[in-house]
Amino acid sequence: MSGALALGWRNIWRNRRRTVISMSAIGIGLFLVIFYSGLVAGMLGSAKNQLDDAGIGHVEVTAQGFRVRHDVGLWLKDTSTWKGQVSLPPGAEFGERVLARGLATSARGNEPVQVLGVNWVDEPNLSAHLRHLVAGALPGDADARGVVIGEQLAERLGLKLGMKVRLMVQRTDAEMGADLFRVRAIFHSVAPAIGQRQIYVSEGAARELIGLEGGAHQLVIQLADPAQADALAASLRSALGPGAEVMTWGELLPVLKRMEALMDNVVFAMAFFVYFLVGLGVLNTMLMSVLERTREFGVLMSLGTRSSRIVQVVLAEAFWIATISVLVGGALGAYANWHFSQAGLQLGGSGESYQLEGATISTLIKTRFLLSDLLKATSFVFVMALIVGLYPASRITRLQPAEALRRT
Amino acid sequence: MPVVEVENVTRVYEERGQAPAAALRGVSLSVEKGEFMALAGPSGSGKTTLLNLIGGLDAATSGVIKIDGKALGGLSRSQLSDLRRDRIGFVFQAYNLVPVLTAAENAAYVLELKGLGAAERRAKVKKVFERIGLGAHLDSRPLKMSGGQQQRVAVARAIVSEPAVVLADEPTANLDQATGAALMDLMRELNREQGITFIFSTHDPMVLERADRVVRLVDGQVVGHAPAPR
Repeated sequence: MSGALALGWRNIWRNRRRTVISMSAIGIGLFLVIFYSGLVAGMLGSAKNQLDDAGIGHVEVTAQGFRVRHDVGLWLKDTSTWKGQVSLPPGAEFGERVLARGLATSARGNEPVQVLGVNWVDEPNLSAHLRHLVAGALPGDADARGVVIGEQLAERLGLKLGMKVRLMVQRTDAEMGADLFRVRAIFHSVAPAIGQRQIYVSEGAARELIGLEGGAHQLVIQLADPAQADALAASLRSALGPGAEVMTWGELLPVLKRMEALMDNVVFAMAFFVYFLVGLGVLNTMLMSVLERTREFGVLMSLGTRSSRIVQVVLAEAFWIATISVLVGGALGAYANWHFSQAGLQLGGSGESYQLEGATISTLIKTRFLLSDLLKATSFVFVMALIVGLYPASRITRLQPAEALRRT
Repeated sequence: MPVVEVENVTRVYEERGQAPAAALRGVSLSVEKGEFMALAGPSGSGKTTLLNLIGGLDAATSGVIKIDGKALGGLSRSQLSDLRRDRIGFVFQAYNLVPVLTAAENAAYVLELKGLGAAERRAKVKKVFERIGLGAHLDSRPLKMSGGQQQRVAVARAIVSEPAVVLADEPTANLDQATGAALMDLMRELNREQGITFIFSTHDPMVLERADRVVRLVDGQVVGHAPAPR
């Protein structure tokens, strides 16, 4: 085989221009597939991995009915027992929230808001915007009247740091609860709707405001690997019983699941057409290259070369063309994916994100580089090139040597 | 025992939509070891077809061809390949060297097929090249060599594996008279020195006069066996 490889190597450089064009077609096709799949995977991956952009957990637990009715009277009575029965995967973050819908009023006007009573230590791990404050700092434990609001809400209500805002919400006893707070920080969210609607207070202040003595409305868990969500949700359902509703990110944001399936098909279809076209190009090149040397193969056969050796020589040519193309195209694809996984690629207009049925899709897409994806794509191209090489080889070996010698 | 035996061989070409054409019709001949024999005849008389059949490059429509007593008819494609590799050398009219290989690599190709190591191949080829006056051209590319030199490389390729018979199809047709004569003299010397059997096709009188025996073909039939004209 080494002799065939050496001969194949020399043969591919007989017509340098044709070989380089052929290699370029394969390399560019491979680059496109690798980069595009990295782009799509990055877009969906960031949407899955960065649910905290919207403050959504990979797993969320509420009392049965709360998610539909948003009734503050439906809360999880016991938010600690499950911890003894279910162990969180490494890297997971967990927090409790007390939730209420209400009205925020300032000297300028009022706006409907979602009040989130949170633990100031846990919540920044669950809501990315609390890590991106544009003014002020998160309130301390002793500051029971401190609130954190979004840029958009601050602008609408004319609020600045230290200014007063009045929150009015429905209480668990069906009365109205209201209290006065002061703005301690203003956050920036990639999702404008969050900056306009959400207002954070301490868990204790929220309990007092809505009259909730214990428990919480929501348990939120962020995972290092979103794929662990289903298993964790199953454990939680078993531990918490029928009174709790446990949902995974895929159930909370079914659009992401649908997009994932759709994009898999889109990438597959794109890869299929690219590889198909590249395959046709390579087949054409190999056919031309081999058939124009039919007489020479006839000479090799007359010297005692077996058909299997002829196939080896032709496949060796396909092997070298594929190897160089795959190395170059794969390296370019890998580099582009790595580069844009660090720098990101601004797509989708001037905004930072767009909302899709509750999912926040960042317009700064960071491509995903996975060695397994690279190996899959390169292996496919490699195998395709070798298969394509079999056809011209079989055309030659079907000929009698004398017939091959007669061809010019 | 004859090196080559041809018994009542016919070869009919049947192209779709065309009437069958008989290139050989009942040809019989026998070639002894060490003969230097010419197949003579006009174009289309069947010289190349007969050489192809003897070399196992084509299959006879009927009749029997034997090399060293072994009938070619019952051999598989792989067995025929092995027979050509081990027992038959070819010299073509148009040299037919592989352009991406050096002269030495062209000559050593058959030895590589036989599984000889690189050093052994090189040594054998060097010896043959020195014998045929190409010692300085071992690493030359065929396209950088003259026609006469290329044809001598082709002769080296044909004899380096010490075959039972060398089949040469109009080996001097692409060479000028002097170069062609020199090539024929070289083949004749190799025939005498090493006892290699040569069968060549030609209609060149200069070639014919160097042969031990001339078999004349006309319209696919043998019309005469005769000693070469002197």
